[in-house]
Amino acid sequence: MIAAIVFLPLLGAVIAGFFGRLLGDRGAQIVTSSLLVVSAVLSWITFFGVTGHEGGAYKIHLMTWVLSGALEVDWALRVDTLTAVMLVVVTSVSSLVHIYSAGYMSEDPHIPRFQAYLSLFTFAMLMLVTADNFLQVFFGWEGVGLASYLLIGFWYKKPSANAAAIKAFVVNRVGDFGFALGIFAIFLVFGSLSFDSVFGAAGEQAGKSFEFLGYDVDILTTICLLLFVGCMGKSAQLGLHTWLPDAMEGPTPVSALIHAATMVTAGVFLVARCSPLFEYAPVALEVVTVIGASTAFFAATVGLVQNDIKRVIAYSTCSQLGYMFFAAGVGAYEAAIFHLFTHAFFKALLFLGAGSVIHAMHHEQDMRNMGGTWKYIKFTYAMMWIGNLALAGVPFFAGFYSKDMIIEVAYSAHSGVGNYAFTLGVLAAALTAFYSWRLLFMTFHGEKRWAGHGHDDHHAHGHDDHGHDHGHGHTPHESPLVMTIPLALLAVGAIFSGFFFYDSFVGEHREAFWGGAIFVGAANEVIEHAHHVPGWVKLAPLVATVLGIAIAFWFYILKPRLPVALAKTHKELYAFLLNKWYFDELYNLIFIRGAFLIGRLFWKGGDGRIIDGFGPNGISARVLDVARRAVKLQSGYLYHYAFVMLIGVAALVSWYIYRMGVTP
Amino acid sequence: MEIGLGHYLTVAAILFVIGVFGIFLNRKNVIIILMSVELILLAVNINLVAFSSFLGDLAGQVFALLILTVAAGEAAIGLAILVIYIRNRGTIAVEDINLMKG
Amino acid sequence: MTSSLSTDLVLILPEIILAAGAMALLVLGAFRGEGSAGLVRFGAFGLLIAVLILTACAGTGEKVLGFNDMLVVDGFGSFMKVLVLIGALVAIPMSVDFFRRAATDRFEYPVLILLATVGMMLMISANDLITLYVGLELQSLALYVLAAFLRDDVRSTEAGLKYFVLGALSSGMLLYGCSLIYGFSGTTNFTDLAAGIASLEGQGAGIGLVVGIVFLVAGLAFKVSAVPFHMWTPDVYEGSPTPVTAFFAAAPKVAAMALFLRALTVPFGEIAAQWQQIIIFVSIASMLLGAFAAIGQTNMKRLLAYSSIGHVGYALVGLAAGGEEGIRGVLVYMAIYLVMTLGTFGVLLVMRKDGKAVETIQDFAGLGRSHPWLAFVMAAFMFSLAGIPPLAGFFAKFYVFISAIEQGLYVLSVIGMLASVVSAFYYLRVVKIMYFDAPEGAPLELPFPLASRVVVGVTGFLTVLYFVVPAPLVTAAGAAAKTLLP
Repeated sequence: MIAAIVFLPLLGAVIAGFFGRLLGDRGAQIVTSSLLVVSAVLSWITFFGVTGHEGGAYKIHLMTWVLSGALEVDWALRVDTLTAVMLVVVTSVSSLVHIYSAGYMSEDPHIPRFQAYLSLFTFAMLMLVTADNFLQVFFGWEGVGLASYLLIGFWYKKPSANAAAIKAFVVNRVGDFGFALGIFAIFLVFGSLSFDSVFGAAGEQAGKSFEFLGYDVDILTTICLLLFVGCMGKSAQLGLHTWLPDAMEGPTPVSALIHAATMVTAGVFLVARCSPLFEYAPVALEVVTVIGASTAFFAATVGLVQNDIKRVIAYSTCSQLGYMFFAAGVGAYEAAIFHLFTHAFFKALLFLGAGSVIHAMHHEQDMRNMGGTWKYIKFTYAMMWIGNLALAGVPFFAGFYSKDMIIEVAYSAHSGVGNYAFTLGVLAAALTAFYSWRLLFMTFHGEKRWAGHGHDDHHAHGHDDHGHDHGHGHTPHESPLVMTIPLALLAVGAIFSGFFFYDSFVGEHREAFWGGAIFVGAANEVIEHAHHVPGWVKLAPLVATVLGIAIAFWFYILKPRLPVALAKTHKELYAFLLNKWYFDELYNLIFIRGAFLIGRLFWKGGDGRIIDGFGPNGISARVLDVARRAVKLQSGYLYHYAFVMLIGVAALVSWYIYRMGVTP
Repeated sequence: MEIGLGHYLTVAAILFVIGVFGIFLNRKNVIIILMSVELILLAVNINLVAFSSFLGDLAGQVFALLILTVAAGEAAIGLAILVIYIRNRGTIAVEDINLMKG
Repeated sequence: MTSSLSTDLVLILPEIILAAGAMALLVLGAFRGEGSAGLVRFGAFGLLIAVLILTACAGTGEKVLGFNDMLVVDGFGSFMKVLVLIGALVAIPMSVDFFRRAATDRFEYPVLILLATVGMMLMISANDLITLYVGLELQSLALYVLAAFLRDDVRSTEAGLKYFVLGALSSGMLLYGCSLIYGFSGTTNFTDLAAGIASLEGQGAGIGLVVGIVFLVAGLAFKVSAVPFHMWTPDVYEGSPTPVTAFFAAAPKVAAMALFLRALTVPFGEIAAQWQQIIIFVSIASMLLGAFAAIGQTNMKRLLAYSSIGHVGYALVGLAAGGEEGIRGVLVYMAIYLVMTLGTFGVLLVMRKDGKAVETIQDFAGLGRSHPWLAFVMAAFMFSLAGIPPLAGFFAKFYVFISAIEQGLYVLSVIGMLASVVSAFYYLRVVKIMYFDAPEGAPLELPFPLASRVVVGVTGFLTVLYFVVPAPLVTAAGAAAKTLLP
C-alpha cells in the first residue's frame, strides 16, 4: 500500500508527461488528479493504521540501491507516525491542488505538462518523507528542488519567472551543499547512512569531538548544523529565505502546494526525523531556536507592508516556518510537526483563496488594485476569513492549538534562547494578525480600486498574465466549483484539524501516538511543562492577536488614510520593511558583485594569462600534437598494420626474456 | 646426428618468421599474403605434431588436423573476399588497398 | 569422465539449437531464393530470442564441465552469453532499413550473425585451447564476410580484406602461442594447465610457456582490439556497413573479452604476476591511443572505433587488477559498454542525409534544434561514454578503477583517469556540434525505422536512469565473477 501511495503520483507524472498530447488537457487532469486522490485516501488509511498503537511502524525494502565497499544503501520505504503525518499532509493538499488547478489553469496552453510536474513533485516529496536513509532523503530533497524549479519557471516566457526559478535553484544549492556535507560527515562518523543504525549509534557519539584547525569541535553539533543549513535553504529561513517570495512568480496552485504546505516544510520534517541526533547536540538546537525565532519575527515585519497578495502570504509562510523551527529548537518536535500539520491546511487554504481572488480579478495580484470585492466573491471571502482566523490563532481554529502550544513550549524551556523565542513569538503573533487582516481589508473591503482601472504595470511584480486578453474592468466573478470545493475541504481542515488532533500530537496521548518516531531525550520534558505554564503566558498570544486585528481594523477600515501618512512620517522604516530589510541588496553587494569582481580578476589575470597559457591552451595544443602523430600511424597500409602487431609481440617477448634472464 | 625436438622447433620457427616477413615485406600481391598465412599455419602444425610425438600425447595431432580443416575454410573465404575486391577496384596490389586511413 | 554424450549435448543445447537453426535457415534461403530475406530474418530473430531465454533461465550458475572437460558452462559464461545474444538480437532488426535502402536485403546476413553468435558462445564456453581456436575461427570467418557484406561497395570490401588478412595473421600468432603452451606443459586443457602450473609451486613458468602466453595474449588482444593489435579497428569500422559495425562493436567485443578473462585467469591464474604486466601495458596503451587518436576524427564510425579501443583499455584495467572485484568490474563494464554502443549506433542508423547514411560528425550539426529528443539521447550517450556522472558510463569506470586502486595499481588508475579526461574532449565535441553548429547542406531526414527507434529509446533509458537501480547488474556480475575463479 505504501508503495502505491508513493508511486501512483509518479505513474501520473509519466502518463501526463509522455502521453499528455494523446490524453488532452482534460484527460491529463483527470488521470493525475484521480491517482492523487487514490493516493490520499490510502494515506489516510495508513495514518490511522500506523498511529496510536505500538508496533504500527514498519519498513518495506524495495531493492538495493548502492553497494560499494562499506557504503550500502537500499531503496526502502519507512512508515512510522512521522511519515504518516507527512503522507497525509502531502497527498491531501496535493490532491486538492491537482483538482483546483483544473479550474485555475484552464486558460493555459500547457496543462498536461503542468499536471505532470505537480505529480512529479508529489512523488519526490513522498520519496523524501518515506525515506529510510539519508541518501534517499537527498534524492527526494533534490527531486522536490528540481520540480520546484520547473514549476516556478513554468511560465518560461516570462523573464521574471525564469529569474525567480534560477534564484530558487541557486539559493537552494547553498543549503544543499551543507546538507550534502552533513551526509558525508554522517557516513564518515557512523559508517552507514541508514536511519536505524545512525540513530542507534547517536548516543555513543554524544560529546565526542574532533580537531579542526586547532579547535576541538563537537561531532554531533557539526553534523546537525550542516544538516540544518540544508533545512534553512529548503525552508527559507533567515539568510537563505530570499528565494521564497520571488518563487511566487509561479502559478498560484504551485505556491499553495510547494511553497506553503509541503516542500518548504521538508526542513522541519528533517529536523524532527533527526531528533535522535539533535537531542545530543544542544548547541545546534540553540542555533535552530535563534534562527527560527528571528525568521518568525523578521518575515512578519516584512509582511506588514507588502502589496502583492501572494507575497504577503509568502512572508507569512516564512514566518510560520520560523515558529516550527524554534519549537523544534527548544525540543518540542511534536509541537513543530503539529504546527506543520495544521499550517498545511490553513496556508494552502489562504493561497488557494488568494488564487481564487486573483482568478476573479483576472490575474491581478496587487492589493492596491482590489478592494470592495466581497460582495462579488462571497464564498472566497468566507474562506479567506477562515484561513486568517486559523493563521492568527483565534481560539478553536486550528492555528490556535498549534501556535499557542509553540509559544508555551518556548516559555517553558526556561532558557535564554527560549525566552528570546517566546518574546519574538508573541510579537510576531501580533504582526501576523495585523498583516492578515490588512490583507483581508485591502482585498475585500474599502472602496473599489479596480473598476475602470487601467491594467498598467506601475507595480513591480509580474502578474499571472500569460497571453489571454480579458477586457479589464469586468466585475469580479466567483470561481468555478472545481476551485471552490478544494477550498471548502481545506477550510474544514483549517477549522477542525487543531481541535481533533491536539491530544494526539502534543496532548496526553502523545507518547502512544508517536510510538517512538520522534526521539526525546530523558531530561526533555518541555511539552509536559508547557501544559502547566502560568495563565498570562497562555493569554499573551491571544491578546497580541486581538491587538493586531484591532489595529488593522483601525488602519484600514476606520482611518484608511492613516497608513499612507504613517509611511510618510516614518519613511526610513517603511522603506526598510518594504525592501525586506535590504537582504537582496546586501547579497547583491556582497556576493554577486563580489563574485563578479573576483570572477573577472581570475578570468582576466589568473585564467587567461596563467592557467590558459600553461594549462588548457598549452595542454590542448600538446594533445593535438599527440593526436596528429597517433593518427599518422594509421597509414592505411596492411603491411604497416602487420608490422605494428609484430613489433608489439616482439617487444613483449623480448621484455620477458630480458626480465627472466635477470631474475631466473 | 640425432634429430631432436629442437630441430623441429627451429624449422617451425623459421617457417613462422618467413611467413610473417612475407606479410609485411610484400608490397605487390595480396595472394602472396594468403600464402604467407598458410606458411604460418604450417609452422604451427609442425610444432604441434613434433610436440605431440615427443610428449606421446595425441591431442597435438588432433589439434593439427583441426587447424588444417579450418585453414581450408579460411583460405576459401579469403579468396572469395579477394575476388569481390578485385571486381570493385580492379587491382589487388597491397599498396593500393589504402582507401581508409587516419 | 562420468559424463555421457546425452548430458554433454544438453549442456550445449543453446549452441546446438542456434547452429542447426542457422543451417536450416541457410538451406531455406538458398531454396527460396532472393525473396526469402524477411522470412529468414524472422526465423533468426525468433531463434535468438529462444536461445536467449534458454541461456538466461537454464543455468544454475554452477560450474559444469562437458565433452571431456573441453567445454565449461558456468555463471560467468551465462552472463557473457546473455550479453552476446542481446548484441546479436539487436543487430538483426537494426539492419533492415539500412540494407533495404542499400538494395542488399539478403538472407545471408541473419544466417551469418547466427553463425558468428554460435562461435562466440563456444569461445565463452571454451575450456581447452582447441575449443578456443574452433570457436574463435567460427566467429571470425563469419565476421570477415559480414565486413565485406556490401559487395559492390569498394570500402566495404576493403574493410573485409583488411580484416581478413590481419585476422589470419592474429590467428596464426594465437596458434603459435597455443602450440608452445601445449609443448611446454603437455596439455591443451585449461583445468589440467591450471593443475600443472599449480604444481610448479611458485617457481614461475619456464621461458617457453611464457612466450606461448605472450603469443596467445597477442591473438586475443587482436580480437578485443587492444593496442598494439588494434590497427584493423578504425578501417574496418569505417568501411563496414553501419549495422555490421554496430554488431562488431558490441557482441564480438564482449565474447572476446570473456575469452580473454577465462583464458588468463583459469589456466594461468597462479602466475598472474607474470602476465599482469602485459595487461597493464596493453591497457595503458589502449586508453591513451583511444583518447588521443580520436580527437582529429571527422568520421563518426571511425571516432567510435577509437572510442571502443579506449573502452577496451578501461575494461582491461579490471583484468589487470584481477580478483573477484576486478573481474566483476570488467563484467559490469562490458554490460554498460554494450548498451551505450548499441544506443550510439542506433542514433546513427536513425538518421540519413542526402539519401545516404550519416557518417561524418558534421552531419549532426543542428540536431539539437531540429530533433531535441534525439539530440538529448545522443548527448546522454556521449556524456556516458565520457564517463560523466550520474550516467551509466561513470559507474562502469568507477568499478574498474576502484578495483585497481584496491590492488595498489595507482599509476594505472591515474593514467586511466587522465585518458578519460582527454577522451571527454571529443565526446563533448560531438555534443557541441549537435547543439551549437549551424547545419550545412541538405537537412537531416529521419526515416525513424521502428527497430532503431526502440533500440535508441531503451538503451537511452538504461543509460540515463542506470543510477537509480545499479545493484541488480552489479550483484549479477559479482555472482558471475565468483564462478570464474576457483
